[in-house]
Amino acid sequence: MKLRRLLISGAAALAIALPGLAAAKEEMLHLVAPIADYKLYVAENTEKLVADTEAFVAAVKTGNVEKARALFAPTRISYERIEPIAELFSDLDVSIDARADDFEKAEKDPAFSGFHRIEHALWDANSTKGMEPYADKLLADVKDLHKRIDGLVFPPKVVIGGAAVLMEEVAATKISGEEDRYSHTDLWDFRGNFDGSKKIFDLVEPLVSKQDPAFVKKVADNFARVDATLDKYKTAKGYEPYDKLTDSDRTVLAAAVNTLAEDLSTLRGKLGVD
Amino acid sequence: MSDGRNGPGRRQVLLGLGAAGAAGLAGGVPAARAAQKAADAPRGHGETRERQPFLGEHQAGVTTPRPAAGMVAAFGVIAETPDDLERMFRTLTERIAFLMAGGPVPELDPGLPPLDSGILGPVVPPDNLTVTVSLGDSFFAARPWLAGLRPKHLQRMTAFPNDALRREACHGDLALQICANTPDTAIHALRDIVKTLPEFLVLRWKQEGTVPVVPARPDGETESARNFLGFRDGSANPDSNDAALMERLVWVTGDAGEPAWAVGGSYQAVRIIRNFVERWDRTPLREQEQIFGRKKASGAPMDGRKESDVPDYARDPEGKVTPLDAHIRLANPRTREFAEHLILRRPFNYSNGVTKSGQLDQGLLFIAYQADLAAGFIAVQSLLNGEPLEEYIQPVGGGYFFVLPGVRGAGDYLGRTLVEASRGSALS
Amino acid sequence: MSASPPSTRLLRTAALGGAALAVAGGAAFYWASQQRGAPVAADAVTVAVTAKACEPNALTVAAGKRTFEIVNKSDRPVEWEILDGVMVVEERENIAPGFRQTLTARLAPGTYAITCGLLSNPRGTLTVTPSEESRAAASRLDVQGLVGALSEYRVYLLRQGAAMVRASGDLSLAVAGGDLAAARAAYRTARDAYLRAAPVAARFSDLEAAIDPRAEYLALREKDPAFTGYPRLARGLFVEETLSGLAPVAERLAADLARLKERLRSVAVEPALLTESPAKLAARLAQGRAERAPGLAAADRADRVAALSGLAKAAELLLPVAARPAPKAAAELEDKLVAAFAAVDGGAAEPAFAALGDAFSKVDTAMNGGEK
Repeated sequence: MKLRRLLISGAAALAIALPGLAAAKEEMLHLVAPIADYKLYVAENTEKLVADTEAFVAAVKTGNVEKARALFAPTRISYERIEPIAELFSDLDVSIDARADDFEKAEKDPAFSGFHRIEHALWDANSTKGMEPYADKLLADVKDLHKRIDGLVFPPKVVIGGAAVLMEEVAATKISGEEDRYSHTDLWDFRGNFDGSKKIFDLVEPLVSKQDPAFVKKVADNFARVDATLDKYKTAKGYEPYDKLTDSDRTVLAAAVNTLAEDLSTLRGKLGVD
Repeated sequence: MSDGRNGPGRRQVLLGLGAAGAAGLAGGVPAARAAQKAADAPRGHGETRERQPFLGEHQAGVTTPRPAAGMVAAFGVIAETPDDLERMFRTLTERIAFLMAGGPVPELDPGLPPLDSGILGPVVPPDNLTVTVSLGDSFFAARPWLAGLRPKHLQRMTAFPNDALRREACHGDLALQICANTPDTAIHALRDIVKTLPEFLVLRWKQEGTVPVVPARPDGETESARNFLGFRDGSANPDSNDAALMERLVWVTGDAGEPAWAVGGSYQAVRIIRNFVERWDRTPLREQEQIFGRKKASGAPMDGRKESDVPDYARDPEGKVTPLDAHIRLANPRTREFAEHLILRRPFNYSNGVTKSGQLDQGLLFIAYQADLAAGFIAVQSLLNGEPLEEYIQPVGGGYFFVLPGVRGAGDYLGRTLVEASRGSALS
Repeated sequence: MSASPPSTRLLRTAALGGAALAVAGGAAFYWASQQRGAPVAADAVTVAVTAKACEPNALTVAAGKRTFEIVNKSDRPVEWEILDGVMVVEERENIAPGFRQTLTARLAPGTYAITCGLLSNPRGTLTVTPSEESRAAASRLDVQGLVGALSEYRVYLLRQGAAMVRASGDLSLAVAGGDLAAARAAYRTARDAYLRAAPVAARFSDLEAAIDPRAEYLALREKDPAFTGYPRLARGLFVEETLSGLAPVAERLAADLARLKERLRSVAVEPALLTESPAKLAARLAQGRAERAPGLAAADRADRVAALSGLAKAAELLLPVAARPAPKAAAELEDKLVAAFAAVDGGAAEPAFAALGDAFSKVDTAMNGGEK
């Protein structure tokens, strides 16, 4: 008797709270095309990542420091775009993209590998000495990543949640400039993270725009603000070093990123992807 | 209602009574407490229902009695137009009014992130919360459309000789002083505001602190709380219940030559002052007392018997009783002329963990209010430059801010007079 | 009533089942928590991360939605992850020293690894035992899994579309250049991609008539002007072994495939694409073909393999979604798929395709509530 009443009142409360969600399950089929298109986007980026990494690794192995430096950030950007998917493979995420602080002996730890290990050598030691095994491993890892992503059925939750995850990541660990601490190429990574987040948002935007046009506008405005701010630091070859970012632009970026993280965190709920 | 498993068992009651009996002999804990289990929440005395009024001529949190927990959080502000500013201040006003009044948090569908952090439960208790909003010099400097509206004495805090300011703990466009009976309530308020206003506010730094609760003395004498150097702090504070005195010392009035919008506001000086407590604790008591100019145990001045006694420096011109460079003597020489330099101090003790060299990172979150920043804190601190206490303390952060006038009634909002003035100056 | 397409029924059943379960689960949880008189958070499993390891380092919880409270007792920020093999199930990043954070994950029974601070620290284990909650969940359709599977199928279709267009371009070039060997290779690639997408491509009858007409349905058979597309090219490449007259056919095929590619992009991907469409195609393949020129035997075999691999893709994506709501039908589908691969070379390919088609149909029925 009591349980029954509870069931009824519980269901009613749910319906009143947000009528859209109850219907969302049926609506979920609309997610098929965006998620498929997102996978194609990710695939494009992993293909580019493999090709770019090949060139980067070749420069490292031939000891061409200058060229390797120039290729470092443009190579990484494809990885940064697809981070919500790439970091699902924790072993590769560690070997490709871990930072020195993740290891007990920091930069001196033999397990410290991947992009940041080579970044450290290129900028800190100004040399590629001893980097051959890391370069080979990086290329092997990136190829493995490509293969694994290809075979992965993308979980809707990860894709939709990924838009906020990318902003969360920038807000929590990147706005401080600690990601590319030796090369100071952080603005490239930002660009990659924003591209990746915006791609997801753009793909599902038609599904939210009817339900909540104000939300869509606010998110679009903040993406535009980020775009405009980053564009101020564009150079012929890419982006200015992170230390060129003024305090006021950093504040504008931080506010936009926080607001995006906050708003995009409702995307899963809005689309009924629990 | 009574559930056998929830109620105290017979064994527990017996044990509890035993403990209460023992405590009773020692003159301590009431019996009801003894039945509590180790991980039970501490039982309060209804303080969570205490509430400070939000509306008023002045903001709460300045002359309001200091509760046990305090915090200062400083932000960068993104607001490019008077309209942005109005939107920000209105949202801030709405959040603070709710948080100070308390009440139930609206529920959303569980598929969405909840509106509230939930750390105080589904019904937010007021818990004596105050949130005091103030603006820094950089807020005005970065906005040409506010030209002419900067409060007269507002400036960027510059380092005093003993300061070792850390860039990441200084200044800010906007500061919130958040005080409450419990730290959780202050943290809840901060998280609410950070979550609600991300497009306007970017957190720069924050410092939390506490004040020990001082039980009332049977003789009616009021004692100040102790700081982390073990000395009573706030002994010579002006009486915040004396409205006329506060009007003179703390609040900006119409005849101060300040922009009209600022009337009812106040200057806030925040300083994060690290105490080298290990070194202090290795200092002989007599030396400690000489440095401060007070007796450590009682808080009395060197020539007095109790804390409220007023030192008579006229009878000690050579500093034989209270050294001339004692902290309290420099900070307040107790002369008639000095009355205009009096400030209202409202500090909290902080404890942040351990430094890289394995020392305790503790100190004082110093907060002071005055109607004239130059004549107030800056003048007083200048007198203290070079004091012997400097060997044991080091200011590392903080900033100067201007506390906005209060919200006077429904429809009004924090910063309204400034927003309206900015529109006026944009038109002219 | 029967007008309602099965795909919608399937979804509706899933939605209702899911909602009812969610409410019942909530009520049961409420009931349980009232009984215990404990706050929700009391359910949380506390894990301390120290400088060296997790404490405890081995956890056991019942399946379902579980909350963990992670306390960072080390002196640097840590992240805490639940790993299924190398895949991250759930994670909490940047837990500051001295702080605690909670993490909620929906866990299926099994053994997981947990990370404990530094990457060099040994990992802990998390054992998830079956529970009422997990058994109840097992009986309901995983809508998200279905959406994921359908998305992946769309990716597959789009990739076949791109591949067939690319290869048909190569084919035209090879024909124009008079390179028979290259033309044969390009034909094979374009044909494989087309057949892999056949469950869906076959639904566009206008394009199918141009791309893959069957001589036996045409008035003049191989002499008919409508005998175009792949069969005409196959005849030239493998029977007549000449490229003469094939150039316009190859051009036209490329144009038709480009149109098909666009159709594949705009087709609404619904659950029936993983059940009904493969069932229909398998049934068609089971009918076999009229006798064909001996030169086409190898090509026909390759066709069967390509078509079967397209069906296998649908099955591969369908099976994880079907396994819980329709375990028997799913197991049968798997068996029939294996059998069809085994039969593809032998003489019994047709019956194997027929059985495979039936198996797809049975999954469709079962997932729409037919399996008891």
